[in-house]
Amino acid sequence: MNNIIIGQYVPGNSIIHRLDPRTKIIVIFFFVIFVFFANSVASYGLLVLFSFGCAFATRIKLEYIAKGLTPVWLLIVFTFFLHLIMTREGDVLFTIFSFPIYSGALIQGISISLRFFLLILVTSMLTLTTTPIEITDAIERLLQPLKKIKFPVHELALMMSISLRFIPTLLQETEKISKAQASRGVDFKSGPIKERMQAIVPLLVPLFVSAFKRAEDLAMAMEARGYQGGEGRTKLRELKIESRDRWTFLFFAVVIFCLFLTRA
Amino acid sequence: MKSSKLLKLTILALLSTIAVVLMFLNFPVLPAYAYLKIDFSDVPALIAGLLFTPVAAVVVEGLKNVLYLIFTGAGDPVGAVSNFCAGILFVVPVTMFYHKFKGVNSLITGIIVGTISMAIGMGVLNYFVFLPVYSAIMDIEAMALPTVKWATVTAGITPFNIIKGVIVGVVFLVLFTKLRTWIERKRASFI
Repeated sequence: MNNIIIGQYVPGNSIIHRLDPRTKIIVIFFFVIFVFFANSVASYGLLVLFSFGCAFATRIKLEYIAKGLTPVWLLIVFTFFLHLIMTREGDVLFTIFSFPIYSGALIQGISISLRFFLLILVTSMLTLTTTPIEITDAIERLLQPLKKIKFPVHELALMMSISLRFIPTLLQETEKISKAQASRGVDFKSGPIKERMQAIVPLLVPLFVSAFKRAEDLAMAMEARGYQGGEGRTKLRELKIESRDRWTFLFFAVVIFCLFLTRA
Repeated sequence: MKSSKLLKLTILALLSTIAVVLMFLNFPVLPAYAYLKIDFSDVPALIAGLLFTPVAAVVVEGLKNVLYLIFTGAGDPVGAVSNFCAGILFVVPVTMFYHKFKGVNSLITGIIVGTISMAIGMGVLNYFVFLPVYSAIMDIEAMALPTVKWATVTAGITPFNIIKGVIVGVVFLVLFTKLRTWIERKRASFI
């Protein structure tokens, strides 16, 4: 249980941290689309510059960001070698164990794994610099138009924030229960699937019962404080688009414009 | 009336939290396809479906995946979407059978139907949607070849979903027999 990072957020006061979460979500959304348009050295260079510029602007230690990417490193390296072996374009550069490596393969391998890396790097920037609650608020605001078709936007956002609030609590509780079971000789970590299945039930029963207790207490507390649904409810944290957000959009638009100029 | 609606919201939120926590405790079953992992996060969705309606189960499945993405850093949105689809294909038949016929036997039938629908549905979705999308992202054309896709679906995805359905189903059945009176009492307090 201890190797699970609880949330990715790193507190800070950088320009990226202070951006409106909606700005970050929108920019990242479009970045994910436009990253597929890069097809030349210059356009890739531009995107690398942009992504690393953002990473530096967060003022989070690069080692920390890299650590968050560990699960994907393997996939990136795998993609690289797969392309290196499978592609048969261009001249033969050299042979390893009588296996020819083509120049086209090298280019292909580098560009695809680089694209993959940029995608992960930029999307991880959102969760690194934005608290889950801010992301929830942003999602609620961005989905506001769906209210017109009777989609329960407020209710969903409320459930999301409650849920996020209780993830650390329930993780702790799960750990406590599993330790209590382990001290009685239950083994969760190894053994055949059948034993794991038997081990999980005594973990789930107390978890469900206590979660229901919490839900009932919470509903009662909210009721007592006059919660009446989303209509006319005011917010503690107001989201405001400020000039730095407008500048970000403008800057990003320029980057995308340059991307199309530098395409081959 | 109002308060039972709020209570329903908080219960669904807490069940989604349990689902996220259970998602962290995942493990692979097929050594050759280590990226296909089993977890018990469908169990809270099933409980929600039994307590309320199949729609509640779908809500828990959706929240679980969105929260998991936010919490772990949006590394693999396609994986989250496919997990959501698999969850719906499994959870909706099980809860619909239960609401129609009640009792443990209806759950067993539901789990069998759910497992089949998940295995077939995910096979089709992977063949036509998820594998092509993954191959486009990683730009591996070989992955989108019909023969390769067919091999991945028949050797990896379908067996995986059958195993997953059976394992999750059995755990849920054991849990249900233990929690049955408790669930039915809770259910009665909402109606």
